Amino acid sequence: MKNTFRQLMHSSKFVLGAGIFVLILLTMLIYPLINPGNPLEMIGVGTFAKPGTYFSLYDALDTKTETLKLKDAEENRLTSIVSMEDRVSMIEFMEKINVDVSGIEMDDVDAILELWHNNFNENSKPKGITNAKWRNYKTLNNRIKKIGKEERVVYDLDPATDEEHKLKVVGGTDYVNINGVVNTKTLPLGTDNFGRDVLKELVSACGTSILIGLVAGAVATLIGLLFGLLAGYLGGIADDIIMFVTNVFTVIPSFVLLILISYSIGQEQRGATVVAVVIGLTSWTWTARSVRSQVISLRNRDHVNLSKLSGHSLVRIVLSDILPYIASYVVMAFILQVSSGILSEAQLSLLGLGPKTTTTPTLGLMMNWAMLYAAHTNGYWWAYFPVILTITLISFSLNLMNTGMDQVFNPALRD
Amino acid sequence: MKNNLIKKLISIVAVSAMTASLLAGCGAEEAAAPVAEPAATEEPAAEEPAPAEAEEPAAETAEGELPRDETLYFAGQQWGTVNSWNVIGVNQNNSMAIAGNASGYRTLMFETLYMYDPLSGKCFPLLADGDYQWNDDQTEMTVKIKDAAKWSDGSDVTGADVVRTFVIGVEIGNNTGATYGAYIDKIEADGKNITIYVAKTDEGKPVNPLFVVDFLTGTPIAQAAWIDTLYERCGGDATAILNDPGEDVVWSGPYKKYFTDDQKVVLERDDNYWGQDASMWGSLPVPKYIAHTIYADNPAGQAALQAGEVDVCQQFISNVQDLWEKDGLPISTYYEEAPYGVCLTMPTAWYNMNLPVLADNAALRKAIAMAVDYDSIIANAMTNQSPSFSDVPRSLMNPTDGEQALYDHDAVKDLQWAGNDIDGAIALLEEAGIKDSDGDGYREYNGEKISLNAVCPNGWTDWQAAMEIVAAAGEKIGVEITTLYPEWDIYQTVFVDPSQTEYAIFMWSPEAASPSNPWHRVNQFLGSEYVGVENNWSGNWGQYTNEEADKLIKQIPLTTDAAEIKDLYTKLTEIYLTEVPSFSLMYRPSVFHAVNESVWTNFPSADDGRNIPPLDCTDGYGIAALYGLELAE
Repeated sequence: MKNTFRQLMHSSKFVLGAGIFVLILLTMLIYPLINPGNPLEMIGVGTFAKPGTYFSLYDALDTKTETLKLKDAEENRLTSIVSMEDRVSMIEFMEKINVDVSGIEMDDVDAILELWHNNFNENSKPKGITNAKWRNYKTLNNRIKKIGKEERVVYDLDPATDEEHKLKVVGGTDYVNINGVVNTKTLPLGTDNFGRDVLKELVSACGTSILIGLVAGAVATLIGLLFGLLAGYLGGIADDIIMFVTNVFTVIPSFVLLILISYSIGQEQRGATVVAVVIGLTSWTWTARSVRSQVISLRNRDHVNLSKLSGHSLVRIVLSDILPYIASYVVMAFILQVSSGILSEAQLSLLGLGPKTTTTPTLGLMMNWAMLYAAHTNGYWWAYFPVILTITLISFSLNLMNTGMDQVFNPALRD
Repeated sequence: MKNNLIKKLISIVAVSAMTASLLAGCGAEEAAAPVAEPAATEEPAAEEPAPAEAEEPAAETAEGELPRDETLYFAGQQWGTVNSWNVIGVNQNNSMAIAGNASGYRTLMFETLYMYDPLSGKCFPLLADGDYQWNDDQTEMTVKIKDAAKWSDGSDVTGADVVRTFVIGVEIGNNTGATYGAYIDKIEADGKNITIYVAKTDEGKPVNPLFVVDFLTGTPIAQAAWIDTLYERCGGDATAILNDPGEDVVWSGPYKKYFTDDQKVVLERDDNYWGQDASMWGSLPVPKYIAHTIYADNPAGQAALQAGEVDVCQQFISNVQDLWEKDGLPISTYYEEAPYGVCLTMPTAWYNMNLPVLADNAALRKAIAMAVDYDSIIANAMTNQSPSFSDVPRSLMNPTDGEQALYDHDAVKDLQWAGNDIDGAIALLEEAGIKDSDGDGYREYNGEKISLNAVCPNGWTDWQAAMEIVAAAGEKIGVEITTLYPEWDIYQTVFVDPSQTEYAIFMWSPEAASPSNPWHRVNQFLGSEYVGVENNWSGNWGQYTNEEADKLIKQIPLTTDAAEIKDLYTKLTEIYLTEVPSFSLMYRPSVFHAVNESVWTNFPSADDGRNIPPLDCTDGYGIAALYGLELAE
């Protein structure tokens, strides 16, 4: 055992795969300690807040300000209000209403703004401009109005008298230290369509999905192993019958079967474990086939025949004379089953046939909701890309471990 | 030898099993594939569409051949192939030509007497000439038909056509007959004049004059001569008439059928349309063709809108403002700011009164409703395309000014709730004695853990998101609520069953806007008229009964005094907010209306001073938009 382990540690592929997997497991264990709470809590009102650090504007008003004279602050502010695209569209507008724009440089913001001030009237829509464009110009115009103001004033409203009190005057050079703001929240992966913290949800979903993978893998491997051992060792009619059943299951596309079963048990019964078992029940066939072929090659070995002659029971022969020889193979098969179990859950959930929602997050469900909210077409990458990446990483690491083990255990591949 | 025989036998069995399983597999794939139901369309055909009988041969047109600058493209209206053009039939699945919409009939091909405008609540004459006239006790109504109004075959539209449309409707039981048969006694015609006799109660009072006005705006008039031809052809058999493909139909509207297959539906302008007469529009509608490509699902339609292949899109688009703010596309909606559209209805969660735990506990019903975070629902599910319940406090009314003025806001102020009131909800439950006595975190009623499900059809994204938030609210007040999303074909058979106990909290939308609203909607919320009705698509899906409410509801249609009507509605609102037989989750447009201006422009918008409602340029008075379209430069 120790020796086997040492051999495995020499395989760089296995080490890399196991490393990634352990890292994922560690994140799953540690992250909830740093960021505790219900992963499904809807903290954001609204959909898809961008990744980043958020600080409370309300509290920031009470935070001590420092005056910093930064050279390009003014410039940055201006470009954020009037971008290059805005300038082009402003010039387009001027051309449309027949204003002479020759001699205007795109870099010369002041000249463009002056031209704009002189010619734009938000109350009269020129003919030939579409509604959508006109609305854009109006919002642009509202933004432009802010340019050149040195300071902004915040008022407080007294609800009793309906009077406004000046609360604070904020100047263009006032800064607050973000550490001084009482309430801040870092959302490394933003929020999803329900306003839930994606990273927190992802970590929790990752755990559920790995669990589903493990259960599915265990179920599939157990069934496959049992059928394979029996069919291979017993041979004859038992073999024919078992292989008949196996063949029948092999020819039905297992994913179709999976969809059918999930659909028919109904959503109410579909918890994470049930889905895992269903996945396991539909994916054992190739384990059974390959275990059987391995057993057939083993069953006429001398030591097996010796055991038979000694009158050992079937169970004992199978467990002590055959199983140990294919154990490494079974472990490898198990790892692949885990990986495909995770993928199957993701596929099922993407179709809306995964575990029922509300209670547990899974990777597939996260993708399902991201897809329902068209996150992929609207550019909310943080709602689905990290999920895909996680699934990829998990199955990549498992497959890598499998390949590494193959190199160690498979005599044909051993260097 | 024997072994071989067994093997052969097994292989034969295996082959047949394989074949069978493959067949089963194919069937299964078909059944499981359409998980993405159109999320925004709220009222898909109630029944299975009949097999397409009436497909035109793949005629002269193909996709590229419609000139883009003469064609107005739509999305979000037509799903699947057209079944028929029979305006007095059923299951036409022909949204561009034959579609009664909650806020106005689609008058592209078949016309109504009046066009409804939900913004002003007014009825504009279409086939009719001038306003309709009531007699004093609202038992008789007279309407005159325009002199210019003509059928596509050149004959005049007369009162006889209206009479025949109504009579055949009642006889064969089509939508017109089923909806208005109980409210209209008879219609008499004299040339271009018609008199509608309102059905009366035993006391001689009109049953419901409001529905008679609905008839004017909601019934497409068919030609009497054509109905006779159809009648003869079918030998008077009602089923045959209802299912006739109606290829030879005669129409009065500005468009006619041009081409249809499983890819798209195209209508062509009828250049002989009577409405170009000065007494109606004074011109023809601008686009020569009306085309609707049949998309697989909402995302496909939205992608086409973004690409400029679609001009008018009747679909819910989440974060619609991103299309112009972020992506800079020439897309706009009716309002410049949120909620972007005109909200006329309120998708509602209904409590199933067949379940004793809900029927017995008004406190539980109200507590759940109070705990729900509506701001989240509106921000998440509707992406803020709805006013919030703090802006427009909950009642029986939709958020239009006209309806809001119909009840006394101050009188029910203490009963209204804006949501997310966890403490209040818990206090209410504690007071009612619904407690968690076994310490599992969930409350019990009569010693049993309360466990409810919150249900809506699968793929109806916004509703699903809303149900998730309802379930989250249950968690916070210690009431177990789990979500359930059955497929639409299952959902639509269960929630209309008056004795179902499978769904505890389930979604459906009440009426949006029409002349008979808000009365009709109030009746749907509280009226026991619909209780126990089999296959109930009409109202009160939760089976709630309240005698006092019934009495008040019956009074309203017969009351003409505005103050009295307001008083009645206020009392009903009080009952509704105290008893909470259902709770609305958001406000919502009855049709969505997003337009892409890369080809056409001058669509209706709130600030253009024309007051054309955003009803996709096709429904009710919204069709006026078609006459003002311009080509974008």
